[in-house]
Amino acid sequence: MNDFLELVVGATASGCIYALVALAYLLITRPTGIINFAVGEWAMMAAFAGVVMLNQWDWPYPLGMGVMVAMMFVVGWLTERLTVRPLVESGAPPLAPILALLGMLVVFREAISIGFGPDPQAVPAAFGFGRLEWGLLAGSYQSFFIIACTVSVFAMAWYFFERTLHGKSFEAVAIDRRAAAWMGIHLGRVTAVSFAMGAAVAGLAGVLAAPNVSAHYLMGMPLAIQGFTALVIGGVGRVEGALLGGLILAFAEQMTVRYAPVPPGLAMGVPLVLLILFLLVRPTGLLPAREGRT
Amino acid sequence: MKRSWPWLLALVLLSSVAFAMGSYQNDVYRKLLLWITLALGYNFLFGIAGQVAFSHFSFYGLGAYSVVIGITYLGWPLPLAILVSAVFCMAVALLVAIPATRLEGFYLALATLAFAQLFIVLLNEGGQVTGGTGGLANYRLPDMAGFRITGPAYTVVIVVLMLSTLAILLRLDRSHFGRACRAARDNPEAAAAMGVDVRRTRILAYTLTSTLAGLAGMVYAFVDNTVNPTIFGLENVFLLLFMIIIGGIGRAAGAVVGAVLLYLLPFVLSPLIGHHHALVFGLVMVLVVLFQPKGLMGVWDALMARRSQAVNSHADKDAKVQTHG
Repeated sequence: MNDFLELVVGATASGCIYALVALAYLLITRPTGIINFAVGEWAMMAAFAGVVMLNQWDWPYPLGMGVMVAMMFVVGWLTERLTVRPLVESGAPPLAPILALLGMLVVFREAISIGFGPDPQAVPAAFGFGRLEWGLLAGSYQSFFIIACTVSVFAMAWYFFERTLHGKSFEAVAIDRRAAAWMGIHLGRVTAVSFAMGAAVAGLAGVLAAPNVSAHYLMGMPLAIQGFTALVIGGVGRVEGALLGGLILAFAEQMTVRYAPVPPGLAMGVPLVLLILFLLVRPTGLLPAREGRT
Repeated sequence: MKRSWPWLLALVLLSSVAFAMGSYQNDVYRKLLLWITLALGYNFLFGIAGQVAFSHFSFYGLGAYSVVIGITYLGWPLPLAILVSAVFCMAVALLVAIPATRLEGFYLALATLAFAQLFIVLLNEGGQVTGGTGGLANYRLPDMAGFRITGPAYTVVIVVLMLSTLAILLRLDRSHFGRACRAARDNPEAAAAMGVDVRRTRILAYTLTSTLAGLAGMVYAFVDNTVNPTIFGLENVFLLLFMIIIGGIGRAAGAVVGAVLLYLLPFVLSPLIGHHHALVFGLVMVLVVLFQPKGLMGVWDALMARRSQAVNSHADKDAKVQTHG
């Protein structure tokens, strides 16, 4: 039983990471219709920002975290400005920005591999590597910190979309671009902000995951795949869907590793099989998107 | 085919090059030809049929692995192994295509990406059959009727593969099927209204190009005489994508130019920038998408148009001078 509860904490923590990456996809996909495979690389870049600021410069954790989020905000905003907006403005086919972002994925990754070399590098955890027992639940400090951070990010995202005018304008753009533009919503600004927020959330996922997996220039792609698997499971339309999808994915993964009689290598195939199944059976995900009200 | 002599000429020329080269150059040349073959097929799938699929290298690997497993583990004669592998590739492609082509937009990309990753996981965990992470080695092309095809002679096999892939795809591109593919890419609703069975077109395009990739994989299996999972991973699909975008999407000539350029460029660039050519390719690809969506073929077209314009205006001037004179 203790073993199971420990697994619950661990699985929830990694589910939270997947959920954050899924949220990063969702923030961009929902208003723009663009799937940005580079979110994984954003997480990787933020992890290396963690290496530099928290490890090499030894900054206090909250300061490093704040600067990292601000930096990723700028990275996302610049990515949109330089590679997506020119294409949207020139009326390029919808595939063009996706391809440009795939190119950026390689550029980000190779730039980091030149800058930091191919070896994994350590990123400190928020409260060191201790173990916390809280009632029946037990896990590492970092696991609990990840869960707390994710819960607050999702609470903020929920508040933003449900309670603020800016958030409503995002939803309006997602439901009907043209109508939203007629209502006076600045489409360019919504797109730019969605990329910036996506990058910041992806960056947070990277820094939170890094103490367990170490910062490595190839860490982006697995995160990107797990993130969109979570997104597809939960549904691309709703913020809660990203969280739900992340948790389902992590539990399915960890339960297979722990209890199913398959070699651990094959367990890596679980999220992929889950993704394929969901795409075949329920491509809209578990939580359907909101439709425009008539 | 009405005019077969250009093909014969190409076959003789491309083959004779192989006999003039040493074994290292032959190795480079063979891989270049294989990249061109793959780029041609991917260009049809992605450029002409408009399907963003990341599974092309999985079928390349499927062909390579299944033919090797056929002749070693199962001990089949080569022709049987080739036949069974081809049918196997086609069956898997069909199995992936039937549900996957139902998906709209980037969901096809996600599904094929998942398939590609799953393929690598299965190769790594295949135990004795696939040789795990180390892959399979210690096999060679069996003798055919007492002959051993090695050296430049095997390069000729690859030339034949590349030219027949090109011939098939060019022929298809200009046929009813090619036009149906383009229509289904540009506007599925309109295509359906014109009587194109969009789903059948997509499934056929996916199955056909994937099977061609499988055939290329079978040939590849005896180039290095080793197959391992890393060759067939996602990295090479990105490279393939870069090739056809930089060369000129949707055009066979573009795929050839892109493949030749991106395959040979690292040999030229590595003294300058080491192994970081992927960064250069990524940057160039972003710039091409932003500023020259038709790729190098678009640049070529513009140059040709300018030249013919210049020739025409000269002709006009000459005509004017003559009338005035």
